[in-house]
Amino acid sequence: MDLSDSADDAAFRTELRAWLEAKLPSEWRSPDFWQHKTPDESFDLRREWEAQKARDGFAGIAWPKEFGGRGGTPSQKAIYDEEMARSDAPVTVNTLGLAFLGPTVMAIGTEEQKTEIIKPMLHNEVIWCQGFSEPGAGSDLAAISTRAVDAGDHWVVNGQKVWTTNALKADRMFGLVRTEPDSQRHRGLSMLLIDMHADGVDARPLKQMTGNEEFGEVFLTDVKVPKEAVLGEVGSGWNVAMLLLSFERGSSAMGQYTRFRAEWDAVAKVARENGRSKDPVIRQRLAQVLLDLEVLRMHSWHILTKVEQGEPLGFESSMTKLQWSETHQDLGEVYMDVVGYGGQEIPGLATADLDPLTELFLWTRSETIWGGSSQVQRNIVAEHVLGLPR
Amino acid sequence: MFFALTDEQRALQETVRDYLADRFPTSAVREVYDDPAGSGIPDKLWQAFGEQGVLAVLVPEEADGLGLGLLDAAVVSKCLGVGVTPGPWLPTVVAGEALRLGGGGSAEATAWLQRIASGDAKIAFAPDLSLPVEYAGIADALVAVIDGGLALYEPASYSVTPVAVLDRTTRLGRVEITGRGLELDASVLPQVLARATVLTAADLVGIAREALTRTVQYDKDRVQFGKAVGSFQVLKHSLADLHIAVTMAEHAVLYAAHAVDTGRDDQELAVSVAKAKASDAARDVTAAMIQFHGGIGYTWEHDAHFFFKRAKRQEYAYGSAAEHRERIATLTIAA
Repeated sequence: MDLSDSADDAAFRTELRAWLEAKLPSEWRSPDFWQHKTPDESFDLRREWEAQKARDGFAGIAWPKEFGGRGGTPSQKAIYDEEMARSDAPVTVNTLGLAFLGPTVMAIGTEEQKTEIIKPMLHNEVIWCQGFSEPGAGSDLAAISTRAVDAGDHWVVNGQKVWTTNALKADRMFGLVRTEPDSQRHRGLSMLLIDMHADGVDARPLKQMTGNEEFGEVFLTDVKVPKEAVLGEVGSGWNVAMLLLSFERGSSAMGQYTRFRAEWDAVAKVARENGRSKDPVIRQRLAQVLLDLEVLRMHSWHILTKVEQGEPLGFESSMTKLQWSETHQDLGEVYMDVVGYGGQEIPGLATADLDPLTELFLWTRSETIWGGSSQVQRNIVAEHVLGLPR
Repeated sequence: MFFALTDEQRALQETVRDYLADRFPTSAVREVYDDPAGSGIPDKLWQAFGEQGVLAVLVPEEADGLGLGLLDAAVVSKCLGVGVTPGPWLPTVVAGEALRLGGGGSAEATAWLQRIASGDAKIAFAPDLSLPVEYAGIADALVAVIDGGLALYEPASYSVTPVAVLDRTTRLGRVEITGRGLELDASVLPQVLARATVLTAADLVGIAREALTRTVQYDKDRVQFGKAVGSFQVLKHSLADLHIAVTMAEHAVLYAAHAVDTGRDDQELAVSVAKAKASDAARDVTAAMIQFHGGIGYTWEHDAHFFFKRAKRQEYAYGSAAEHRERIATLTIAA
């Protein structure tokens, strides 16, 4: 057992902290600052922040240098996530590109795709969205019906994607579409790289129960996509999608722990201030959430250890997802119990209707659905980790 | 970053686990179960503990021990939970910690530690004499907390009234102190109790892991409605949740043991997290073990009740989950 940073890792942490101290505007650390910004204003600030990180060498931490990354270790990526969260630095706007598309392109992309995609992504010159879910294909991803027809020198795409994060901000989409006419289920799919500014792409906001519009729906009508804009082989889209989603498995939950723990502290502060912290039931529930956050931190060390030892992670990412998403949801519930009926009174500002903890309460309802619902994750754990029959 | 057992710790785990699986499987536990008037610790098993160094793990090298850490001891404790193994291993090891930490290195304390390491002495440990004490009736000595003091008593200084026990993988007796004992430094008591708590959590995690493994296997094999019952989603989802709970409890025990070994700032929190998580996980898994075996799981002939009853006893030993959550609240909410 050794939980200390190696000499290299400690040096990286020191350098990163100094850089954050110098470059992260102090007013950004206040939730109040972001609450008074419109979604567009905050997106632009975060986009520029990400670009600054890339210019200063703090993007793509564990990505190879040849692709514009820092060439660091998995430990350093975990340290990075932890320090970004600890300093309340804003989260990335290119979430799905960085988490999923980047590693997939590095693994199976053509040389042209590597050059064209990776560096602009790290510098936030190109924002990516993911086009997987459809109205008829949610948990059952293989039910995809968006189709691309071969028109000689290009594809013609028709269909609809939904729950698309950053749909209105994205420049490009990596989308799973049916390229073989009349193909069924997992066959005949391809991963198309679609220009969101092309004719026939209509991205509309989707207002969520929080009142925000992080998600959108994308209507694709006779959209022309160049023939070479396919990631992986034509017809192997399902395998590309599975490879892409597998990159989530190596990611650390360290950043999540750090952010959630700060949120827990904020809930505990409210409970202290309104006296509910003396209620034995509230104390038990706050302690249970803290406990589940602490084990999440240990779980992230466990995952990191396996990554560093080169051990296969298998399907443990489903366990990680369940642990963090359900604990985060519990935190939202405990917050509402702490504020009680008084929680009905919200700021109602022009720019943000909700305070951060009320937003957490609503937002965490989405976390147990997106990225594989809790029910799908339990099937995966039961079948692929415990080996129970289908 | 290395959050895992070392090769040496894995080897220790395999040695103990394989020995118990080969030489002391649950059929042997059943003999102890069905002889409630017996000592509750077969001589051969205790002798093997002594020979394998399982009792010497935490005893310093100066007292002929292995001088290892709480993490190593937790590895052993988990194996004993997996095996629902009877015997006073845990109280003896905890009493040894009281002697090591609070004995001031005296010749008497060292002599007792030597006897512990070799398997020559079984020692009972009584943090609260208002409750019955494990293996008090057959122990060679007793370390007890009385009026805030900590002392080792020899059998002439106390009397024991055996009591019948729900979980027959142990034996219990009510103790009355009648004489004087060897005084130990009572200021080490929180450290001793922290170690006892972690070892109990490790025992619970072992119980939970084995109960889950057996239940998953049964539900793969058991056919109803023409299908393995483990193919039904309602069982799958429940077993998936239990697997996650046990896995997280395993992490928590690993960390708590390490935190105590290295004196980390959050060791108190870590100990309470481990005991609360392990208690709840073991309670839930052992209850599911009965439920997901159906009627057979409710019979005396099936092993499920060994796990269920032992989990229930250990759930309350050294603080229940609710008590540890309250401790967590005290440590964190006010901060």
